[in-house]
Amino acid sequence: MKKRGRGIACMWYPIGFTVSANPSAAVVKVNEDGTATVLTGTVEIGQGSLTVLAQIAAEELGISPRDVIMVSADTDGTPVDTGAIASRTTYVTGNAIRLAAKEAKKILFEVAAPMLGVRTDQLETRQGRIWVIDFPQKNISIGEVAYYSQVKLGRPVQGSASWNPPTVPLDPQTGQGKPFNTYVYATQIAEVEVDTETGQVDVLRIVAAHDCGTPINPMLVEGQIQGGISMGVGFALSEEMVFSSNGTLLTSSLSNYLIPTTVDMPEIEVIIVDNYDPTGPFGAKGVGEPTLVPTAAAILNAIYDAVGVRLYSLPATPEKVLKALREKEAQNNTASSTH
Amino acid sequence: MERDVIRKVPLVKPGEPGMIVEEAPTEELAGYPSVGRRIPRRDTIFQVLGQLKYINDLSFPGMLYAKVLRSRYAHARILRVDVSKALEVPGVVAAITADDIPVNSFGPSLQDQPVLAKDKVRHMGDGIAAVAAVSEQIAEEALEKIVVEYEPLPVVLDPLEAMREDAPRIHEPRSNIYWEWHIRKGDVEKALAEAHLVVQERYRTQMVEHVSMETHSSIAMWDAGGRLTVWCTVGRITLARTDLARILQVPVSRVRVVSTQLGGNFGGKNEITIEPVLAILAKKTGRPVKGTYSRKEEFIASTTRHPFIMEYTSGVTAEGRIIARKVRLIADGGAYCSWSETTLGKATILSAGPYDIPNIALDGYVVYTNKPMTGAMRGFGAPQVCFAYESHMDTIAHRLGMDPLQIRLLNAYDEGSISATGQILHSVALKKTLLAAAERFGWEVKER
Repeated sequence: MKKRGRGIACMWYPIGFTVSANPSAAVVKVNEDGTATVLTGTVEIGQGSLTVLAQIAAEELGISPRDVIMVSADTDGTPVDTGAIASRTTYVTGNAIRLAAKEAKKILFEVAAPMLGVRTDQLETRQGRIWVIDFPQKNISIGEVAYYSQVKLGRPVQGSASWNPPTVPLDPQTGQGKPFNTYVYATQIAEVEVDTETGQVDVLRIVAAHDCGTPINPMLVEGQIQGGISMGVGFALSEEMVFSSNGTLLTSSLSNYLIPTTVDMPEIEVIIVDNYDPTGPFGAKGVGEPTLVPTAAAILNAIYDAVGVRLYSLPATPEKVLKALREKEAQNNTASSTH
Repeated sequence: MERDVIRKVPLVKPGEPGMIVEEAPTEELAGYPSVGRRIPRRDTIFQVLGQLKYINDLSFPGMLYAKVLRSRYAHARILRVDVSKALEVPGVVAAITADDIPVNSFGPSLQDQPVLAKDKVRHMGDGIAAVAAVSEQIAEEALEKIVVEYEPLPVVLDPLEAMREDAPRIHEPRSNIYWEWHIRKGDVEKALAEAHLVVQERYRTQMVEHVSMETHSSIAMWDAGGRLTVWCTVGRITLARTDLARILQVPVSRVRVVSTQLGGNFGGKNEITIEPVLAILAKKTGRPVKGTYSRKEEFIASTTRHPFIMEYTSGVTAEGRIIARKVRLIADGGAYCSWSETTLGKATILSAGPYDIPNIALDGYVVYTNKPMTGAMRGFGAPQVCFAYESHMDTIAHRLGMDPLQIRLLNAYDEGSISATGQILHSVALKKTLLAAAERFGWEVKER
């Protein structure tokens, strides 16, 4: 018989290292044509970080993200970055890039103000141009200002900055302190179908509501969440490194170590909840790791809801589910026979 | 409503190597404002066209290929290593052992990991010797000619067993328990005694691997000026540079670490693995040396996720308020520390869950076993403790006859809540996520 159940799980997750310094530094150069080049020591790992970081630089400078050139991942050519770890890139590297872009923008404003006959605090950037606030008839292109600044004034437009999240070390006895500057939150709800004959669990649907502060690029946030859930489904149901008694790994290939494939994936509905963290770039926090954190718990709670057996260990393989069902049945029989 | 857009069109120019990608004139898609836009990843077009170069796509003239001999035993003393027969294999250019490594230790927290094992192997992923040859196949064949004499030692795979006083010591003379975290708030014993209901459970999780599509791959090359460049699949190039400089005993400024885009990381590529071996082989041969992990090496010779044993005791009121929580975490820390300290730390800090609980006692321990290294992996211990605290929440709800959503909403962190470590929390959107997910799912509250 196939039985359906639902399970909910929520979580919290920190952004950045546990107390330890994890700085990011960045250089932002505004080129003579009004484009910008960002130097960052982070490494793109396939999650889209360079796209998000370009969007942050573009937003601060008031240019198009496609006009931002990203140079990354070279200890000779790029500034220090702690790397794509601890869900920190958007938040920490993003803050560094935003601050560096601000520095560059300051130069742009100092050069543009006399050109437009106003003070620097009367200027704003938007759509590749510098505008006089409340009098947009007066404006000038960023490229023109950058060119003039570099070629005529001898003042190349660039900024550099670094950022490190503020923390408070934990007390060695009580563990009291501020290990992280910010956290994100999420809830996932799973619907499963359990085959009581075979123990097979199918995850039919997952609703994932995540807080990441401002989503700099909602499409990439959704991509992270979907990818994380696939990892969570594997953690919940099939992935396991099994060792023999002498320590030999028995599951050392993808034919016996089973990661979810397309057919194992549930329908996923992603909700990015509205939130803004004033300590992050444009209110952003992060999303990379939290995406898989509640998945296994939601699935196992759904199994419990479906068939009334609580599994105390992962993964919930068909063998384990079936064994738990048989034990429950045996218990019920004993209970009814003692009546 | 903004839609996903493809803003670049590829133009193939006949006769030219590869393709030229030019921007399509799409002023309306210029992207102002930038933040909040669903812009496609900038690398997508290159991936689709097969133009994106990963490390394993790179090669240099005269490049050699390295392979590492892994241990036959999970725990053994090494009595003798002889690479002379491997050197006789045609096509083999160099072979090295632990004796060729200037400082044979590394690790992000504890420097307890050898580049190549010298006196002892602690798990089957330990490398003992490495060869560089003109092809990967020849290097692989030459490994079989290396003679290693072992004295097998008792193997400890279970972390509870490894914690016992009489357990074989994996890093003798040190205890197998190699890191602890403790968090205390309020008076947990008093609150448990006063609770309406006390629920006690034990949960376990398994060892898993990151399974990035791209396996670890690196190339090391020295220039005539004595500078080393390493192209590698490492996500933390700054740390890789200082680790390499320390192992090779050269100034940091003599090492350049370059990465391209990685084909997945998930925490598995946050530290060096084969890079020092390649650097030493490259120096010895005067040629660039590449090393790429097999899928099996990914499993046994790179980091994995810590299996956890998690004991939870919670005291609740009749209304479902959690007033006390005691947690004891035991993490299977594998053969070397790697990122265990951080993983255990995050796990312990997060282990009480995102709930406003006044009385808390959280203890975390990580233990050496003769298994592959456990280190950074997406979530750093959080998926393990979340499985436990969220299963535990459902058990409590069930025992009280409450709905799982209701018990969470009743105890959830809010703006200004104080965390287990005493931190005032800001931008807390937990209840928002609970309510948003429940609404979309169509969650109907069921109480008994």
